[in-house]
Amino acid sequence: MNRRLFLGQSAALLGTTAGINKLALASSQTKAQVVVVGAGYGGATAAKYIRMLSNNSIGVTLIEPNPNFISCPLSNLVVGGEEKIGALTSSYSGLTDQHGINMVQDMVAKVDTQKKTVTTAGGNTIAYDKLVLSPGINMYMDSIEGLAQANADGITLQAWKAGPETVALHQQIADMPDGGVVALSIPLAPYRCPPGPYERTCQIANYLKANKPKSKIVVFDSNPDVASKGKLFKAAWADLYDGFIEYRPAHKVIAVDGKTRTLKFEFEDDFKADVLNVIPTMGAGNLVVDTGLANMNNRWAEVNFLNFESTQAKDVHIVGDSIQVAPRMPKSGHMANQQAKVAAAAIVSEINDFPVNPQPVVTNTCYSFVNGSEVVHVASVHQYVPEEKTFLPVQGAGGLSPGPSRLEGIYAWGWAKNIWSDTVG
Amino acid sequence: MKTSALGRLRYLVGASALVILGSGSMATANEISPERIYNLSLAATCASCHGTKGISVAGQDMPKISELTHDQIALAMRQYKSGEKSGTIMPQLAKGYTDEQIEIIAQILGKK
Repeated sequence: MNRRLFLGQSAALLGTTAGINKLALASSQTKAQVVVVGAGYGGATAAKYIRMLSNNSIGVTLIEPNPNFISCPLSNLVVGGEEKIGALTSSYSGLTDQHGINMVQDMVAKVDTQKKTVTTAGGNTIAYDKLVLSPGINMYMDSIEGLAQANADGITLQAWKAGPETVALHQQIADMPDGGVVALSIPLAPYRCPPGPYERTCQIANYLKANKPKSKIVVFDSNPDVASKGKLFKAAWADLYDGFIEYRPAHKVIAVDGKTRTLKFEFEDDFKADVLNVIPTMGAGNLVVDTGLANMNNRWAEVNFLNFESTQAKDVHIVGDSIQVAPRMPKSGHMANQQAKVAAAAIVSEINDFPVNPQPVVTNTCYSFVNGSEVVHVASVHQYVPEEKTFLPVQGAGGLSPGPSRLEGIYAWGWAKNIWSDTVG
Repeated sequence: MKTSALGRLRYLVGASALVILGSGSMATANEISPERIYNLSLAATCASCHGTKGISVAGQDMPKISELTHDQIALAMRQYKSGEKSGTIMPQLAKGYTDEQIEIIAQILGKK
């Protein structure tokens, strides 16, 4: 294998000037180097498991712009005021201190799949033997007229990437007068976290019921029906939030007027609300698109499911929400964590010239809170089928909760603590 | 008869296994090998809910599978799979694993 060299900021200190700075570090000359871009559920897990499965024999650099890991799963509890964002935030220190991962806080501006380098916005160029891209999703803010401006003005939030917008959306709802209306708009599937918008509906209704009982939430769904856990959510809406939720399927928002807080639709009348939460259509993260790897309709990246290598570029592996999924494989944090382990095992095998596992398996587990303590789940197991060259859900396995329960609420928090630890701990 | 995943992997390993054996060092359980990567990554499918290596984070109530023996894990998984044992998610997930996969998971995660 062609051993590549790691280059860092210190190259500048040696008087190297323009172009790609190559600095030979004695310690890394015989060690394969993997660069991972994005430290969410996919990237952080890949980085950690490459170190673990290789007995720390492979060097891993993990590049992420955010200083901390903030979980999207459970962030609807912050929108509804049941939790603070701090409860969903984890440090990356476990990855550096326990697993010896070299963490770089920066954005990646460019990938050169020929030279096998990535260049950060901060100007560092880092060479790789194997690259893992896990940049999450890109919101198509331009797909809805006026949305980009309304979002930039802080009027219309998406809050679909957990962080400041999640907190701000809760504040908008808390600041709304009693009797106000919250409008939530849901994009056509596929999007990140299929049950997420319906869980959010529950959490906002839960807040309104307790704090602003004359208010309501109106849900405009581009899809023809609730896209995930439909019966469970509809039962919860009827049982817990009668009069607080209006659900309008097959409503596609085409424009937003931030000044008057008005939604415009393809066919139906305009709708004015006090708080607008517009979740636009989404696709693979920008870096995947800009690198030319979004080869499914310029939207998602096709991968070989045995090792999650891009079908477009050798030694570039893509995990998480950016990929074109296998049949009935959801875009979830849990799934990204599972994909990352398959990719990590394959990468460690390939670097060691071992055969790659011919039949990997992944699972999905997704908990949704219908109020502050009761939860419903959906679960599935996906085995790789060599004849089909894809993962398929195992027939007869997986399924849904019979109904909301407090026991599953306890398990949901257990799941969260354990997957955060499995990902960044 | 259908070849198992591990069977396929062992077949694929063939030549490189000879290289490992011929390298002079005695292969130990902790050395990197195709089978070890296979076993650990299979058991890692459980880690998303139960913690890395089955070790749960303290202070929450997800069942702590690293405190169970090989026999206890294998039996629970087989009973979840057959429907003999009830639960929330595990009866649904256990049905997705082959008997061979359950055996390997129990070996890797069971208390030593």
